[in-house]
Amino acid sequence: MEQPKILIVDDDPELRRGLNLRLRANHYDTAYATDGVSAMAMAQKEKPDLIILDIGLPAGDGYVVLDRLQENATLSCIPVIVLTARDPQYNKDRIMRAGATAFFQKPADNFELLGAIRSVLNPRWPGTAAAAPS
Amino acid sequence: MDLKPAAHVLLIEDNPGDADLIRLRLVEASADLEVACVSRLSSGLQSLAEKTPAVVLLDLNLPDSHGADTFRTVLKKAPTVPIVVLSGLEDETLATKAVHQGVQDYLVKGNFDSKQLARAIRYAIERQALLMSLDMSRKQQLQFKDEFLSHVSHELRTPLSSIHQFVTILLDGLAGEIPAEQREHLGTVLGSANQLLTMIDDLLEATRAESGKLRVEVRCIAIGDVLQQAVNMLQVTATEKHISLELKVEAGIPLVSADPERVIQILINLIDNALKFTPPGGAVIVRASLMVKDSDHVCISVSDTGRGVSPESKHLIFERLYQDPKSSDSSRKGLGLGLYIVQELVKLHGGRIWVESQIGRGSAFSFTLPLFSLSKLLAPIVTPSGTLPDALVLVTVEVTPKPRNGLPQWNNVRQQCMDILRNCVNPDKDIVLPALSGDSGSEVFMVVASADEHGANILLKRISGQFERCFDLQSRVSVRIFADRLASCGPDTEPPMAQLEQQLASAVTRLTSASAVQPAIAKREFEMILSGLAAKPETVNSKSIVTAEPIKSPAPTKRGTNGAAQNTDR
Repeated sequence: MEQPKILIVDDDPELRRGLNLRLRANHYDTAYATDGVSAMAMAQKEKPDLIILDIGLPAGDGYVVLDRLQENATLSCIPVIVLTARDPQYNKDRIMRAGATAFFQKPADNFELLGAIRSVLNPRWPGTAAAAPS
Repeated sequence: MDLKPAAHVLLIEDNPGDADLIRLRLVEASADLEVACVSRLSSGLQSLAEKTPAVVLLDLNLPDSHGADTFRTVLKKAPTVPIVVLSGLEDETLATKAVHQGVQDYLVKGNFDSKQLARAIRYAIERQALLMSLDMSRKQQLQFKDEFLSHVSHELRTPLSSIHQFVTILLDGLAGEIPAEQREHLGTVLGSANQLLTMIDDLLEATRAESGKLRVEVRCIAIGDVLQQAVNMLQVTATEKHISLELKVEAGIPLVSADPERVIQILINLIDNALKFTPPGGAVIVRASLMVKDSDHVCISVSDTGRGVSPESKHLIFERLYQDPKSSDSSRKGLGLGLYIVQELVKLHGGRIWVESQIGRGSAFSFTLPLFSLSKLLAPIVTPSGTLPDALVLVTVEVTPKPRNGLPQWNNVRQQCMDILRNCVNPDKDIVLPALSGDSGSEVFMVVASADEHGANILLKRISGQFERCFDLQSRVSVRIFADRLASCGPDTEPPMAQLEQQLASAVTRLTSASAVQPAIAKREFEMILSGLAAKPETVNSKSIVTAEPIKSPAPTKRGTNGAAQNTDR
């Protein structure tokens, strides 16, 4: 079976590298983008199954990316998990309203993050580990 | 010509002679005063609502209010307006009390001339303005502090994230196997990183508590389940320290109005502290029980067999930044914010917290949480004569997730549905009840609306319209909306609340037995409703309720390694 592809959008190279390692170890295919503009370009090009999005980004922050994704007929159905160091009290509601599927504050617990990824990618029923080849 | 508008003075005085005299004095003192005089407190309050005066001159003994109650009522209604009490009575105790509670001056009628009165008014206005500006700058400072800390927290979290990510990568063997000793050292690094995170969170929470920004989303919860979750999260730590950690929940506790995540946060703090100060071989017990003296609250306590709290520390222990000076504990000290935050959270729930302790024998931290009360919830729609409106409709909205989209962020969906309902209802006439949820099934929202058939139809249309407009919800859930007429509760049906509860309960059973809610859950919840009703069958203030919610995965832990025991280090 083909591995689900996840687009990582983060301007911090270390976090990108770490997340990349973690996702590949869990048998996901990855691609990444470092700013708002390249995030949109990569989403168009790679057609990922899921986007993991930071909020503080150069050239169009995470909010802009969320808006652009929503405006696009084909991209709007890609689920987005927002992973940011920003304060949930001031950001979470806005992020969820902007169309994100889930919100995690950095550093996210790997177990919970991978669980969320599984349940977003798994079209059957939450909690089943069918798409969890870890 | 004087272009400055005349200062508006509100005089609340029932004696026409006194009123005329004071008015005369005021006119003598200054030409640009506009005096409005009323003789009752109620009309005074109405006038305050219409126009904010520069100062209120207040007699304490009015036809509809007496003594200290009079200024308390005005202070509550208009906290920013300076008040000068004009009393017929020379009462130093009452005067001091008045000033303590926020009155600017206390003058005895007949003891002042027009100049003195004018000066008292001027100074009262000045002092009040000073107070207001101090209060404002304090608020601004708190706001600044909150924003600053929020920003700092963000900046600190980014490198911490990186530490967390790579340490867990090493620990999980994603970069090759590592020897046991190195694993142990990495465990220490992870533990310390997590401690740092907790401190950052505590700093933010403490600032929010100070500026009144802590958020509590009250739901209807089965307290036993929530306590069990908190205990489970710390069981591993307890075992590691050879301390027994036990939960004892009294049977028959009705449902509780509280924010489950916050309750877990409170419990984790208290249990964590108890474990920290209890030697190996000791015991920590979490108890939930009903209180004999206070039937509106449940009492939850965390007791340990640690070294106890000294009598002089008992009051200080909940203060910010308090550290036990005699602490010889080898474990690192925290910021001393934990118990302060716990106390603020308990207060926000409308409960209280205290500690009982004997040096060398252990301590018990107890706090209370309000029991769910339908009558309290329905209070806004009770008519002035103490009865419920004649026409009542129960609107039920059943939201079922679409399986293809899984269940991520169910909490968020719930919040969105709640927001929609709150937007649709008229808060003076309709009440949104806490939600009922099945384990992986649907969520049931209920509104008790005071509406006749026509009104109910309008409300249903409004609700369904809102759900239809909410596209992101639509893709995730399907929604069914029902309306049930609740038999009218006229003035002679006694007690109306108990009757309503029964009607609601039967409506819920009908609904849950016919819907996708997991039967086991619905049954258990319903048993709780019945036990709540049985507990106090004759009182209007019955604690029974309609719904409960088994809490799913609130575990707010964000740390730990992949799949390893994660919840041990908070």
